Amino acid sequence: MKVRKGSIAKLVFSLGLSAGLLVLASCGNGGGSSTNTNPPPVSNTQPMEVNLGPANNYTNGLFTDVTLCVPGSSSCQTINNVLVDSGSVGLRILSSQVTLSLPAITDNSSNGLQECLAFADGSYLWGAVQAADVKLAGEKAASVPLQMINAPNTGLAVPSQCLSSGGANVGTVTALGANGILGIGNFRQDCGGDCTGASSQVPALYYLCPNTVCQVASVPLAFQLQNPVWLFPQDNNGVLISLPSIPADGAPTVSGSLIFGIGTQSNNGLGTARIYTTDAFGNFQTTFNNIAYSQSFIDSGSNGFYFLDAQTLGIPDCSDLPGFYCPASTVNSTATNTGLNGTTAQVSFSIANADALFSANSGSNAAFNDLGGDNPGGFDWGMPFFFGRNVFVGIEGQTGPNGVVGPYWAYGPGGASIN
Amino acid sequence: MKTVLAALLVLVLGSAPAWAVLGEYESSVSSDQKYLRGEVRAMALQGYSVQQITGADRTVVKEYVSPAGLVFGISWQGPTMPDLQQLLGSSFSEFQQAAQSRVRRRGPLVLRTDRLVVESGGHLRSFHGRAYLPSLLPKNIPAEVVR
Repeated sequence: MKVRKGSIAKLVFSLGLSAGLLVLASCGNGGGSSTNTNPPPVSNTQPMEVNLGPANNYTNGLFTDVTLCVPGSSSCQTINNVLVDSGSVGLRILSSQVTLSLPAITDNSSNGLQECLAFADGSYLWGAVQAADVKLAGEKAASVPLQMINAPNTGLAVPSQCLSSGGANVGTVTALGANGILGIGNFRQDCGGDCTGASSQVPALYYLCPNTVCQVASVPLAFQLQNPVWLFPQDNNGVLISLPSIPADGAPTVSGSLIFGIGTQSNNGLGTARIYTTDAFGNFQTTFNNIAYSQSFIDSGSNGFYFLDAQTLGIPDCSDLPGFYCPASTVNSTATNTGLNGTTAQVSFSIANADALFSANSGSNAAFNDLGGDNPGGFDWGMPFFFGRNVFVGIEGQTGPNGVVGPYWAYGPGGASIN
Repeated sequence: MKTVLAALLVLVLGSAPAWAVLGEYESSVSSDQKYLRGEVRAMALQGYSVQQITGADRTVVKEYVSPAGLVFGISWQGPTMPDLQQLLGSSFSEFQQAAQSRVRRRGPLVLRTDRLVVESGGHLRSFHGRAYLPSLLPKNIPAEVVR
């Protein structure tokens, strides 16, 4: 595969052959955690805001601006209202918002690489993989593969596998409720090693479409969507998401900070936060009422505390909003999170009546720290978890404080006075 | 018995759509095995049996079969969302309708009707979920066995 036009990275790449090492070497983005030279500190704080988003319809959406540039050039564009998502990896931007012409990533027959990402609710994003320099605060990652959602003029129909998750194509501002997604989760790439095997054995995520017939493709790591953070020259071992406390009935807007690096500058130390390492897939264990759930995760892209079900909890679902909890009065609960490294601590949380939350302040509140809903069999610690906390996302293979290597989470009280 | 023969015949002839699993006869497991390019392991348990298919892409699908030979539940675990059209068979359109009418929720999906239950959660690299048809649960077998 290669980057068309820009010739930033060239690799003669044959279907079915994985050439990961070659690719990484040719890509020119070291980005590793071992640095012998300490570059001068750069501004590592990117403002974020929780609000209703560009379609005025998002509950607990965490948004920021992302600047894209044609690789190696000063031709740049800032995209606002991009959702900050700790549950996915990679930058995904609605093509309708982009005026830049970015180079496509192609195989050696000039077939553009495509991706279809389906989320847990079945909704999906389809689009071409292109490369851009990505700027966030004072940080810059060069030639980052990203997804250009619903890229025009490809002549391609959405592959049938992409439709089989059952959800809607959410590649519009109205449907996505955002202009894109900035995935800054626990991994360097969105798919990783799963997508580098023989093309008959990789999951349906990436596609090549010779003669407009799309087939699932194997893709070397360097050409998969990348977490831009690990490609920064510094502050590249993870991020800190810092949001202040909010009132129990919500707030219309909340300002916070997305801070790059963990323990790399004076503003991103762990403080009293404790590290919870995860399994290879980004999950840790949550114990509730003496039952352990092993596939727990923290996800700023989930807009509620999603856990268990009405029957198990004895909290009724809302009659008019299926999947949200509507207790008669706010329920206070505790659960225990345990990392693979043995760190274990209780989390206290509250679940309020979702109907009441959505009608508070004449329905104009966007941020809630006590919105909950069903997720049978597990715990998805969504946006409500982030308010009043410093939450650190440690990236796989990158070394954090005390020599701990990602993937891990760390969290502790905070969010008020980070700068 | 006629129904069984008819169902088998359709599969043997391979006529489209042979996509049918949840709510169909056990023999439809083979079409999933084909789609997953996987290996099947069967387990007989008290009151039902489980066919576990491990796909080449790390996806694991379990199909829960009643003594009458009907698939009453399925579960999945894998790096990406599975082909739910394949796995849910004739229940897919009902799921599709629910999935495409999400209101405010951004996260896992839960569909619960008298006829069909679907639960889908997780994130990239780690999706999981299950589906079952309450009316097909064998006698004295709770829905919790589908996991």
